[in-house]
Amino acid sequence: MLKNRPTLAYIVGRAGWYAVTFFVAITVNFFLPRLGDANPVDTIMAKVSEGLDATSAKAKEEAYLKEFDLVEVDPTGKVKRDAQGKPVRTSLGHQFVNYLGMSVRFDLGSSILQHPKRVSEIIKAALPWTLALQLPTIVLGWLIGNGLGALAAYRRGVFDKLMYPLALLASAVPAFCFGMLLVYVFGIRLEWFPAVGGYDDGLTPELSFAFFRSASYYYVLPFASVFSIVVGGQAIGMRSMCIYELGTDYVKYAKLLGITESKILFYMFRNAMLPQLTGLALALGTMVAGALIAEMIFSYPGLGMAVLTAIQGNDYPLISGCTLLVTVCVLCANFSVDVLVGFLDPRIRAARQTGK
Amino acid sequence: MRLLKQLLKSPFFVLGAGLFLLTLSIGLLGPSFTNVDVNTRAGLAYMPPSAKHWLGTDHMGVDMISMLVAGLRSSLYVGFLAGTVATSVGTLIGLYGGYKGGLIDDVLTVGTNLFLVIPSLIVLILLSASVENGRSLTLIALIIGCTTWTWSARAVRAQAASLRNRDHVALARINGFGTLGIVFFHIMPYLLSYIFMVFILQMAAGILSEASLSMLGLGPYDSVSLGKILNEAKTNEALTDGAWWAFAPAMVLITTIVFSLYIINTSLEGVFNPRLRK
Amino acid sequence: MGVPIFEVDNLRAHYRTRFGQKIQAVDGVSFSLKPGEILGIAGESGCGKTTLVSACMGLYIPPLHLSGGDVRIEGNSIIGMDIETNRRDVLGKKIAMIPQGALNSLNPTRKVKDLASDMIRSHGETADKKVLDTRLRERFEKLGLPGDQVLNAYPVDLPAGMKQRVVIGISTLLDPRVVIADEPTSALDVSTQKAVVKLLFELMDQGIIGSMLFITHELPLLRHVADRIAVMYAGEFVELGTTEQVIFDPHQPYTRALMGSMLSAEPGHRGQKPVAIEGAPPNLAHPIAGCRFAERCPTAQPSCSTNRQALRIVAERQVRCEYAS
Repeated sequence: MLKNRPTLAYIVGRAGWYAVTFFVAITVNFFLPRLGDANPVDTIMAKVSEGLDATSAKAKEEAYLKEFDLVEVDPTGKVKRDAQGKPVRTSLGHQFVNYLGMSVRFDLGSSILQHPKRVSEIIKAALPWTLALQLPTIVLGWLIGNGLGALAAYRRGVFDKLMYPLALLASAVPAFCFGMLLVYVFGIRLEWFPAVGGYDDGLTPELSFAFFRSASYYYVLPFASVFSIVVGGQAIGMRSMCIYELGTDYVKYAKLLGITESKILFYMFRNAMLPQLTGLALALGTMVAGALIAEMIFSYPGLGMAVLTAIQGNDYPLISGCTLLVTVCVLCANFSVDVLVGFLDPRIRAARQTGK
Repeated sequence: MRLLKQLLKSPFFVLGAGLFLLTLSIGLLGPSFTNVDVNTRAGLAYMPPSAKHWLGTDHMGVDMISMLVAGLRSSLYVGFLAGTVATSVGTLIGLYGGYKGGLIDDVLTVGTNLFLVIPSLIVLILLSASVENGRSLTLIALIIGCTTWTWSARAVRAQAASLRNRDHVALARINGFGTLGIVFFHIMPYLLSYIFMVFILQMAAGILSEASLSMLGLGPYDSVSLGKILNEAKTNEALTDGAWWAFAPAMVLITTIVFSLYIINTSLEGVFNPRLRK
Repeated sequence: MGVPIFEVDNLRAHYRTRFGQKIQAVDGVSFSLKPGEILGIAGESGCGKTTLVSACMGLYIPPLHLSGGDVRIEGNSIIGMDIETNRRDVLGKKIAMIPQGALNSLNPTRKVKDLASDMIRSHGETADKKVLDTRLRERFEKLGLPGDQVLNAYPVDLPAGMKQRVVIGISTLLDPRVVIADEPTSALDVSTQKAVVKLLFELMDQGIIGSMLFITHELPLLRHVADRIAVMYAGEFVELGTTEQVIFDPHQPYTRALMGSMLSAEPGHRGQKPVAIEGAPPNLAHPIAGCRFAERCPTAQPSCSTNRQALRIVAERQVRCEYAS
């Protein structure tokens, strides 16, 4: 069945590959933070154990060890003990399997720093902010950036000579530099926009008009900082692609056939867009990272801030959770782009058919 | 030589190379001109620029110019080391996979794509966070190098694959050259210019990655870097205090280096790929 | 036969390079085509053949500019037309071009039928989709291409020989009076070449094509295709006569050298060793005094380098050499 429907075969193939990638990602996410010797329980105990006597302290410690899956537990829920009565530590491999099981149920453990809050709770609160910042920025930035690039390639002349260095500069300025610049100029000096936060103090996140109005006000600077960089990068790339397309044999032939200019521009755009889309898949990781960093600069209450505070507090369940989620988002986005390109580019379909 | 002359004709290249050499010389020659001392308090915190301290002092009272020069040196070092590591690893993998083709190529490509898709910042965060102590500049550079090689691997592989079927390669194979010999003597020489361009971009990526890491607080614990300067400016409220000298020069330096490297790369591309010149 | 359908009158066209240099790629070319006639244009790469194509069609895209001369189709001049009128009424409609390297001439992301309809619609013939489909299918079947299969295919799905037929089909959709075939058979194997030439002949017989300009560097091919042959060198015609005259009895030194460099199985040519012409064509950025072929000419005289050579009638054809007998 798959042999006769190359597009379907392509999608299934990509899905399989992404599944493998996801597995690798989750493995990396689990093992890397645990390479160090930070023991989360010690951190919590340091906070909590004041004023407790030895026995209650020990009981509490065991409770935490159980919670963080660091000790083996027998079917009744009691901590297993070895010959000396000390709790048996779970092996790393065992922890990993448990971790996989928990993740499938969307349970990512408890945060250390913000104990007893669950990681999934924290992420749930932060995720909408991140998505609100990432999606429009990347989508709009891609569209407008490519549009500008195509225009520059077609028109050349003054527009091109102006746009090109500007775009190059925009793509070269690191996300945080630009963010800090915007905060300083517009947030602090000119005070046109707020410098930090996602919404006014005193307001709580809710579906009200007042809240949205406040939130949009706080949205402007973070959006602008990431948007400009995305636009710059895309414009440069698209301009090169379009210049290349305009010089191809098929454009020359189309001109000699007497095909209208607007049609030829459509050809150019359509064909240049494909490698740009493919490039988007690669660049998504960078764009997302840039947006996360922008969140940190502006103290925007999204995943970026969550990761930052997690790092500063050595809260490795939260670090793992956030990075895993970001990776999953990037993988999903990549997959969507791959599928889209598969539909749009007949060459890819043909390559699949003939087996590369 | 002729190549150099052609490059010098391009205003882009001159601008990029000039800017880069400028920053490089500030970094390398800086200590000879000013007294770079990042450890002693030379004045009060956040003193504005004055005759004594041309760019003021930072939050600890250390002379800003010293900080900048030291930071610049660190960042350039990291960029260079990370760039070298990333380019070397990526090129080796790309050359091998691209030349060999077949199953080896497929496996290497899948592996490369795997790490390409997982955002390198994420891996960087995870790796750096796990290395609690001993986060030296060199270690960070190595970590960055080991996570950003994927791009160069892909790029070099495509080029190597296209050269695989050339006649001189087939001839070498007939003459009994082994894989290593062919890759190093018959394929790589054609790609040297391309690999150099890749190196430039990897260097820029390395500097940016280090700065991003430092911004997160995962930077080197024992040295000053430009990203760290920015991080400290943010956490110590330099922005709200209006102490622009604590972050603006560092920003300018980072942007200049990265921008100049991008321009150099673009102009090199223009020389090697004449189509774009039209 | 009778009134020329296509006349080119001392056509000159040049390129302006980035550095301000002016390269006179076509320098005074004149010829005419009668209905049903095939004129072959032969020459080395770089002689100006491809520039001649754009110039003849009135398509001047910078850095290519018109220096002077006239081009008339059915008596009407196309020089000096504005770009839009030229595009709508001339390109593809009155004069069509069949490109070389059909491998790259078709837009890879456009189905054949979409490209064909783009072409038809661009010339103001808005047609209902069904009508268009039928028309395309009929035309393609005439060309020996299985209608639906080919029309719905992408270029990447078609083999090279079929692609060349598709290109011919699309170029001649609007029944052009003059067709300029620019190396239509390069990169094709011999049997496909024959098929393509046969197809072109059929189209002429059916009246779909009026006259043809057949440009190639493959001389043996012209023997079987062209009625008359023009030999081009360094932007000029150096000999223009009937096929028999040019191939079997060349008078201009360059033509002679060219025929001598052919590998031919023709009776009379067999047994002759091919001789390469040494040297390279002159750089057209600088004005050239005297004969352009003088440097490489085996029978050059001292005055050849100083005297500007004009076309004369020698042995019933045009020859550009004062020493041709």
